[in-house]
Amino acid sequence: MSKDALKGPLPVILALPVLALLQVTLQDHDFLIYLTSLVGVNVILAVSLNIVNGMTGQFSIGHAGFMAVGAYSGGKLSLEMKDYALSFLPHVVSDQISFMLAILVGGAAAALCGFIVGLPSLRLKGDYLAIVTLGFGEIIRVIVQNTEAFGRALGLSGIPQSSSLAMILFWVFLTLLVAKRIADSSHGRSLWAIREDEIAAEAMGVNTTGYKVRAFVISAFFAGVAGVLFAHFVPIINPGSFTFVKSMEVVVMIVAGGLGSTTGSVVAAVFLTLLPEGLRSAFSRLDDPSLAQKVDQIRMPIYGLLLVAIMLLRPQGIFGTHEIWDRWKKKPKGAT
Amino acid sequence: MSEVLLHAQKVSIQFGGLKALCDFDLEIKSGDLKGLIGPNGAGKTTAFNVLTGVYRPTSGTVQVAGEVVNGRLPHQINRLGLARTFQNIRLFKSLSALDNVKVACLAESHPLFRASGIEALRKSGQSFMANGLDALNNYYDWWRALLLTPGFLREEVNIEDRALELLSVMGLRHRAEEEAGSLPYGEQRRLEIARALGTRPKVLLLDEPAAGMNTKEKAELMVLIRELRDRFSLGILVIEHDMKLVMGICEQITVLDHGETIAYGTPEAVKKNPKVVEAYLGEAAKTDRPIGATP
Repeated sequence: MSKDALKGPLPVILALPVLALLQVTLQDHDFLIYLTSLVGVNVILAVSLNIVNGMTGQFSIGHAGFMAVGAYSGGKLSLEMKDYALSFLPHVVSDQISFMLAILVGGAAAALCGFIVGLPSLRLKGDYLAIVTLGFGEIIRVIVQNTEAFGRALGLSGIPQSSSLAMILFWVFLTLLVAKRIADSSHGRSLWAIREDEIAAEAMGVNTTGYKVRAFVISAFFAGVAGVLFAHFVPIINPGSFTFVKSMEVVVMIVAGGLGSTTGSVVAAVFLTLLPEGLRSAFSRLDDPSLAQKVDQIRMPIYGLLLVAIMLLRPQGIFGTHEIWDRWKKKPKGAT
Repeated sequence: MSEVLLHAQKVSIQFGGLKALCDFDLEIKSGDLKGLIGPNGAGKTTAFNVLTGVYRPTSGTVQVAGEVVNGRLPHQINRLGLARTFQNIRLFKSLSALDNVKVACLAESHPLFRASGIEALRKSGQSFMANGLDALNNYYDWWRALLLTPGFLREEVNIEDRALELLSVMGLRHRAEEEAGSLPYGEQRRLEIARALGTRPKVLLLDEPAAGMNTKEKAELMVLIRELRDRFSLGILVIEHDMKLVMGICEQITVLDHGETIAYGTPEAVKKNPKVVEAYLGEAAKTDRPIGATP
């Protein structure tokens, strides 16, 4: 069966040459790479937040906080390691290895924060949890803003730009794989059960608190990874990149895509990231080029309108809780 | 004589000044089919909630399979072999019927450290160690799921087979792919029982399983409950308002009123007990109408 063929770590091994090929062929298209990187980071953020908000049904609105933890810890590490290289390896390979190390450290730091925030606060529900996560995001931002080592409000600059298309797409792929495999396992079903009815889930032997914390940790890890990736392709990171607005952006993505739908999150993340770019190029064709420069200012109203429109037309989001392939899977719906 | 699987001794629970349950005693062995009745607000569902760990008893002890479970969490008590259904159906509504049962069919083999060993540690007071090993088991389990190891895939197939079998037992096999929330009321009740059975219980607590069913469905349910008891050698405790059903299937009945146990015994004895007649039927008793007859 085709399902058996995709067992274990095989998909990752298969993906590597494809990514390498992409890297080599698209090497010179700077803008395309930048755009893909941006999309990739947002996809990772959306898919990981979806594990908490969509699958588990908790309402976290502090995702940018975890991203910031990853970005700053990974970025700082890269800055410190900038002058070291593994001499016996080619320069590029050595760079990518230390980049990978930074990613793992950033992810782990974010996961630790996820655990620390999750442990006490996941006994809270709904609005109360939202407030705690919101508070966490702000705390991280304020701490960074007041720490000399993190460059205060100026942020960190000079982080080596070692991000590559292959590395970003690799992590996008890994995030999707993890999300899919969680959804297909007993763990994913336990998370859904918590979303549907916590009391019943607990009565059916699901350790609800434990599962919520784990969902939070996994989600935070990937948010941290997204942060590290982000820090390595933008010239400078500062506290302004990780505000509440960034958290809301990700929430908008998963709500628009359909809470609980991984593919929905991907589609929405890609669309909402490309939207400002699309607007920019559309406006630049108009007579008045100044409009193109204002895209960033009109982006939020457009997000808002879009969200209102989606809530009115399709309150469950583009895909609802379903995945895109659920549509063509056979379904004996309404059988007598 | 078989082991007592669920044993409540002098269990009381108080909410502020209200004694919701007072000196409640209960003993369920494998193969028992007991009933719990009483007028509205008598404390029946509270009794269920205390037994399953939703509430912690103010005094008294609850034992499941020989373990004192006071203060344990509902999911831990469930793992000891106590499953329940809910009065106001609590299905995972937007999941398919099959997934509902699969959630309950948790993987049973803990591959890294054996569950019996962990339980032994917990009994000997080293709960910290036990929790640690439990966590390690869990992480191992996550990695198996993420790496899709052959053992994990085998387990998934087992879970699916068992869930489908339970659906067949409850006559819901043809509904497997349908959303639980869209099933007819009677089938939702049966699905809840199937889900409870998924956790491999030794004792099953049914909270008004026949509520909202028509006469035909109720008759079928009576047969089904007996079958389940024999097939899975369960001890079953039923809360029910439908007198015909309770009197028809239960061998022993406990009657609650205002949290107090006012009668205990066989259906015949309970039916004749003047206290029960007064508390449960009130005015109706004076007209000499037999219990279970519809007015």
